Amino acid sequence: MAEIDASIAARKPQEVNRQARTAWGLATPALALMFLILLVPVVVAGVLSFTNYSLGNSGFDWVGFKNFDRLFSRSTYEKMFIATFTYVVVVVPISVALGLGAALLVNSLGRIGDVYKTIYFLPVMATLLAMAIVWEFMLHPTIGVINQTFEMSCGTILEVIPFLANGCADGFPLWLGDRDYAIWVLCFIGIWQGFGFNMVLYLAGLTAVHRELYHAAEMDGAKSAWERFRLVTWPALGPTTVFVVTISCIRAFQVFDTVEAFWPQGGGPNKSTYVMMFAIFEKGVQQNLIGIGSAITMLFLVFVMFLTLIQRWLVERKVHYG
Amino acid sequence: MTRDIWKHLILILGAIIVLAPFYMMLSYSFKSPGEIDRGTGGFFGAQEMMVDPRCVKLRDPNRDEIAAAAPQYPGRSDSEIRNAIMAQAEIDCSTRPVVFNYTKAFIEAPLLRYLLNGLIVTASIFFIQVLVALPAAYALAKLKFWGREAVFGLVLFCLLIPVHAIALPLYIMLAKVGLTNTYVALVVPWTISVFGIFLMRQFFMTVPDDLIDAARMDGMTELAIVWRVMLPTAIPALLAFAIFSIVAHWNDYFWPRIVVTGSRDLFTPPLGLREFKGDADGSFFGPMMATATIIVMPLIVAFLVAQRRFIEGITLSGMK
Repeated sequence: MAEIDASIAARKPQEVNRQARTAWGLATPALALMFLILLVPVVVAGVLSFTNYSLGNSGFDWVGFKNFDRLFSRSTYEKMFIATFTYVVVVVPISVALGLGAALLVNSLGRIGDVYKTIYFLPVMATLLAMAIVWEFMLHPTIGVINQTFEMSCGTILEVIPFLANGCADGFPLWLGDRDYAIWVLCFIGIWQGFGFNMVLYLAGLTAVHRELYHAAEMDGAKSAWERFRLVTWPALGPTTVFVVTISCIRAFQVFDTVEAFWPQGGGPNKSTYVMMFAIFEKGVQQNLIGIGSAITMLFLVFVMFLTLIQRWLVERKVHYG
Repeated sequence: MTRDIWKHLILILGAIIVLAPFYMMLSYSFKSPGEIDRGTGGFFGAQEMMVDPRCVKLRDPNRDEIAAAAPQYPGRSDSEIRNAIMAQAEIDCSTRPVVFNYTKAFIEAPLLRYLLNGLIVTASIFFIQVLVALPAAYALAKLKFWGREAVFGLVLFCLLIPVHAIALPLYIMLAKVGLTNTYVALVVPWTISVFGIFLMRQFFMTVPDDLIDAARMDGMTELAIVWRVMLPTAIPALLAFAIFSIVAHWNDYFWPRIVVTGSRDLFTPPLGLREFKGDADGSFFGPMMATATIIVMPLIVAFLVAQRRFIEGITLSGMK
């Protein structure tokens, strides 16, 4: 076989050459754009993160690690890291768990379950900015539906719930204007928007689980639904889970639309929702502090690449839990 | 059976929370300002005739207009004439709330322009993405050449870089060449879809070599093979990619927010809605919700019509 290949190659060296030239010709536009749009900006951000450059200035000074120093010493950026990580750490596990739960329930219901699948997927399709504005109305402290609904419970038996009792006595939370609630409301909307996406990925993963595995597990004495889930479903969904967690993390890191819609001026009450993408936008674009914006960009890229590399590593090991 | 009821109860509770904002958005877009403030009127609102205060105010006559109208009202004093004109204005300016909201959505802001911009931007992005990615994917899947592994490695590396994350350096580069506030700025960063290359390469790998060899026998050039042989076989994958791409860019807010400042002519739908919100006073909740509905609806309707394809398209990234 190898000999035949070799002889064909020997007979048509110009043919091989021609194919190589065409191939490079076909790939060149993509390669050029890849360099210009993806790789060069990373380098540009890397270089600028060591400078005090501003758009409109003719030159810049090298400032060494000063921008990064600032990121790790100023309280604003401490708040930025806290807000970003709180958001990621809350939204990722809950939206993955809800996605898995919804997928299992929907899957077990057969065809009727498709109705729920459609409904849960709607927020994924909808323009997040528009939906954020709707949520803002609903969360309005006085005319918003949410507080109005809570107020209806005042004077009824429901007042035994401490939250409602407090609200009826002292007024319900301001939600978006309240530094204790703002970040949690943001997380809630993130989960609301994203869990349907995870559900659909899990549903795709579930179709790949072999029926025989359940029979085999039952033979081995796995009688309860929980045992079957623990022994068969969860391990089989391992690769899906790795993927779902990674993509949820990357999406959560990139939260911006809701923050900008709710708090256009500076990241929420007491900067409690000052997430990284908003910081890049505010520092780099609005305030023209490109050095510091680039430093945040670099840090952001490191986080995201690190996550993806962990995912690839896990997938290549063909993870199976349990 | 009882177990199924529990499942339905849980799922219905979830569905209520998921649907609540969609319900409110539609409902507000039907209601009058008063009904929105008081929280009355059910889903559709009472649809009683309402008077548009801005419209009436615009028709408030000044001295000259009163003088001009005087012959029509013989023997009346100026203030009586003014009252008569204003009474007429109130009649002319009264509409049903739903009509008021949706007409205001188009009149107060150039919503049609925004929608058109959204269409232009998403369509050009998708078109260029295909134009760039398909030949590269074909080369990587079906042609043997020195450096192929390296090119593919580069594609895999670039998959790690989310374009939103490098928005700041991209913005600086565009500003340096004076391209901010142009259609080019809205489109350019998305012209290269590494994911598209990766996806189409995986798909092309499954196309039998015989098909390509036959085309070569017929004397087709490699470029012609890409468009006339590979493209037709790839329609299902391409459709899924189209949905993935269009949904992402119709809904994108971050990038347009950065490169488009000031000029309304370039606003995409989310930017337009954002500006509407900035301008709006309390009485404009209805028209704003009408705008939101108009922006969200095209994709939602398309999704409801072609659910399977949409879910395939959006979860494409699951194929990595």
